Amino acid sequence: MPTQEPRTRFTAVAQLLHWIIAALIVTQFALAWTARDLPPGTHKLALLAWHKSFGMTVLMLAILRVAWRWGNPPPELPAGMTPLERTLARATHIAFYALLFAMPITGWLMSSAKNYSVSWFGLFTWPDLIAQNKTAFEALKTTHDCLSGVLLVIAVLHILAALKHHFWNKDDVLLRMLPFTKSKRGS
Amino acid sequence: MRRAAIFLAMLCMASAATVGRAANPVQSYTADPSASRLDFIGIQAGAEFKGTFRKFTAAIDFAPDALASSHFDVQIDLNSLDTMDDDRDATMRGPDIFDIAHFPASRYVTRSFTKTPTGYSAAGTLSLHGVTKDVPIDFVFVSTPGGAKLEGTAKLNRLEFGVGQGDWKSTESVKDVVKVAFSLILKPRSLSE
Repeated sequence: MPTQEPRTRFTAVAQLLHWIIAALIVTQFALAWTARDLPPGTHKLALLAWHKSFGMTVLMLAILRVAWRWGNPPPELPAGMTPLERTLARATHIAFYALLFAMPITGWLMSSAKNYSVSWFGLFTWPDLIAQNKTAFEALKTTHDCLSGVLLVIAVLHILAALKHHFWNKDDVLLRMLPFTKSKRGS
Repeated sequence: MRRAAIFLAMLCMASAATVGRAANPVQSYTADPSASRLDFIGIQAGAEFKGTFRKFTAAIDFAPDALASSHFDVQIDLNSLDTMDDDRDATMRGPDIFDIAHFPASRYVTRSFTKTPTGYSAAGTLSLHGVTKDVPIDFVFVSTPGGAKLEGTAKLNRLEFGVGQGDWKSTESVKDVVKVAFSLILKPRSLSE
């Protein structure tokens, strides 16, 4: 068996999952921030119903994504990166993966604790993870909110890093995750 | 003489029938408030949510062999609703849902009973939010050493009672249909009650 060339780009599946999840996360922030300022009512309920459905979608896609990554390792980081940059990049990505699970799960727990079960687009209802509990709800809400802040910071770092790689280092770090492009090396 | 005999015979039969009915009187019960439950299940944002009424009284006159003289009268304190979320409870007590400032109580009174393959069905009226409408209930009745157990369900459309005004008239976030489930532990009602 000939050894396979090391991958230089993310697979199409990895790219697809990356961009769908990215779009969902942007939508999640928009829904959450809009709902936050609304008085209790049908409009708020409707927005939060979308937020929960999209959140559970992120959780399912995150499972798929980890499974895919397991079988299809990502391309190596560019050779010129310093150890510090490598550590930072790895830490950011690990945090991202952790949050892809932590955000939906804390949200799901929150809904259970408040006795508002999570429906998936009205098609089916997810089981409650814990019994109704006001104290737990408050703690979970704080956690969910804090983690969303962490997610926002990491997302900004991630985007800035991708742009820095593209425009400053002029490597293919951004391009290899962009569909319909060609990477500079190896392609 | 012959007429008198027929009349006498008829009188005997009539009194026998009366005695026969009197031999199967209904039992009068009241629901034990601490052991009984009256729950409702709505569908909000696609998912079921359960609430309960903590305060209600149920005067149950029932005997399986005396359906014609059986009768339920249930009175519900709507302010006692509990959906295990203060925000939702406050909204439901408010003017757009139950409007308990104007309609603090609800009442269910039966009109007639029929036997069904699995238990019994009652025809009756529910008064809620200033509207009185027919709502049938299905239930099973089991005699127990200390009294009886009455378990059943009903289904109603909240909008028929005007429960849901303004935005809440929309069935997109809260469905029209609401299920009701009850489990009453009945104790014999004392004569003084």
